[in-house]
Amino acid sequence: MRRSRTKNRNTVNAASLARWIVLTTFLALTGLSYVYLTIQLYHLGDRKKALETELAGLRTQNDVASAQIAALTSRSALQRRLKEGYLKMIPISERDIVRLNLPVHPDNDDAVRPVVNQRPNR
Amino acid sequence: MKWSSRFRCALVCLGFVVIFSGFSFRLIYLQMIKHEEYAGMAADKHVHKQIIHAERGSIVDANKDILADNVPVHTVVADATLINNKDAVVDLVGRELKIPATELTEKIRGDRRYIVVKREVPAAVADALRTKLRGQGLRGIYFEQDTTRVYPNGPMLCHVVGFTDFEHRGIDGVEATMDEYLRGQDGYRYVEHNRAGQELVPYRGQERAARNGYQVQLTIDLNLQTIVENEIDAAMREYHPQKAIIILMRPQTGEILAMANRPNYDLNQRSEAKPEQMKNRAIIDVMEPGSTFKIVAAAAALNEGRLRPDTSIFCENGVWNYGGRPLHDHKAYGDLSVMDVLVKSSNIGAAKLAISIGEQKYYEYIRRFGFGERTGVELPGEIPGLLQAPQRWSKISITRIPMGHEIGVTALQMTSAMATIANEGKLVTPRIVKSVTTSDGKTISKLSPVALRQVVSPQVARQIGSALRGVVSDRGTAAAAAVPGFTIAGKTGTAQKVDPKGGYEHGKYIVSFSGYLPADHPEFVGLVVLDDAQTSKPELNYGGLVAGPIFSKIAEKAARYLDLTPHQEIRKALPVERVALTNASNN
Repeated sequence: MRRSRTKNRNTVNAASLARWIVLTTFLALTGLSYVYLTIQLYHLGDRKKALETELAGLRTQNDVASAQIAALTSRSALQRRLKEGYLKMIPISERDIVRLNLPVHPDNDDAVRPVVNQRPNR
Repeated sequence: MKWSSRFRCALVCLGFVVIFSGFSFRLIYLQMIKHEEYAGMAADKHVHKQIIHAERGSIVDANKDILADNVPVHTVVADATLINNKDAVVDLVGRELKIPATELTEKIRGDRRYIVVKREVPAAVADALRTKLRGQGLRGIYFEQDTTRVYPNGPMLCHVVGFTDFEHRGIDGVEATMDEYLRGQDGYRYVEHNRAGQELVPYRGQERAARNGYQVQLTIDLNLQTIVENEIDAAMREYHPQKAIIILMRPQTGEILAMANRPNYDLNQRSEAKPEQMKNRAIIDVMEPGSTFKIVAAAAALNEGRLRPDTSIFCENGVWNYGGRPLHDHKAYGDLSVMDVLVKSSNIGAAKLAISIGEQKYYEYIRRFGFGERTGVELPGEIPGLLQAPQRWSKISITRIPMGHEIGVTALQMTSAMATIANEGKLVTPRIVKSVTTSDGKTISKLSPVALRQVVSPQVARQIGSALRGVVSDRGTAAAAAVPGFTIAGKTGTAQKVDPKGGYEHGKYIVSFSGYLPADHPEFVGLVVLDDAQTSKPELNYGGLVAGPIFSKIAEKAARYLDLTPHQEIRKALPVERVALTNASNN
């Protein structure tokens, strides 16, 4: 009796089962990884696009700011501000100028003497 | 007949084999034979070539101050087929972009898919409009990223910098001549979109980055340009001339340091400018130069060795009949040395100098000084001037050309000729572009001075320079051009205006002064030209009295800016009375 029960029982090949489990798990993980990585790819793509858009926006702001700086520091703008009294300029007096080159002395008194163009008082 | 079960099975299997073989063949046909065709069709439907626009390079002056730059803007476009509420769109867009409702309604009428509503909309305005459109659920209006050119200095240097059209192509000035370097190269990227129109970034295809335009650096120094602009404006207010030109150039290198013309216009409002305001008269207007041209005859005569600087020339006591026509001097001179012909600006003396070397030789010298051909400066529209070959000269041409009549020159040619004298007789090509660099400072091209030819010997150039010093002295015609502390060499010019109908216009003159400073080691050459200046009395309309003082003011300020060491003789200089030339200055 005992012998026949033993005879009818299905035997499980542990090694084969393990092989199948490993294979199935591997395939499942590979599939899941593929799906996960694909989703990640799209996600990173969206992130990349968002960063590109943000970068373009920042570059635009930078360009606008640069143009504004250029406009506000331009000669015409500064002169306008000067006229309006927002800026003051004090001329450097001759005694405050330190010259690195010594004045050139003419070797002889030239026959032609330069003249001073006398200006009317302003 | 009764088929056995085995036969029926075989038949079903065969059927499957046939069906799946058909599928397989179809699959192979689609995937291998027709692959290219269908892949192309799919790509056409989903893949687009996206243009990555290159940014136009900026233009800067010698000190890297910005003259032209880009600012991001938007182009507002409409797709008439997608607009869901035309009245609301017209109301909102018209209000935000300040477009009249009737004009906007007319624009978006019909079913066109691409309508440019407004260009060059500032980013802030576009963002505000976008938000409001979203808020009201209005569709059919899109925003395209673009840039526009801005010129921070407005009208200053307008004729040199030039401008671009709305497609960013250079139209005038350096913007046009250096367009190849400034415009850069657009890039591209193949992108795929999903059904919602969003880009599928993982499927990006071939990509080439845009190469931004190069930065062009000019030889212009904005500080000197400001001095020149202020003085030319002051001259316009005082003398009300039809036109005015001022040029400053470094003689050794040909670098143009400043160039101003009047009338002018604001580069940022160029659409409002009239054609007359847009001409760079320094290179496209011809003028009879008047007495400044006498340097050519004097230099030629001395260089040929026929005469010495102290050779005496009889100036016929003020009137000389040559070829049946009288030639006058403004004063009756007897014998004058070659030097004094320049100092006193004798027409008869200059004519005799030219006659001494002959027509052909004199013509060759005119050409050697660069007249009758373009200087080659990097500005558009330059003309060569008007110079006839000797075969076409009249009998009296040899007496009229030396005094600057019967010849048409540009202001730049005249400056270049004076620079030749200042540069020891060497003619250097004038240039306005200093270098071309990438936006990160790497040099692409650096333009070196080009010495064209030795026009006259250095010794002759020095002799002429010495005579030109006399012009700006108590003995010369341009005492008012003097600058305290410096020795100046220069020549005045007063030419009657040519009447387009023939002959000359009575009482209208082109007055000029061309000179350099310091006379010993010239740092810059300058030319001041005023066309039809209004003086209180017509007899005061002379180059020495009108253009000379303007040059003096510019030279004084420029010398300070360039930190030139004043000559010691400042202390013993002679004062010269300044004549009230206009009613404005009398007041």
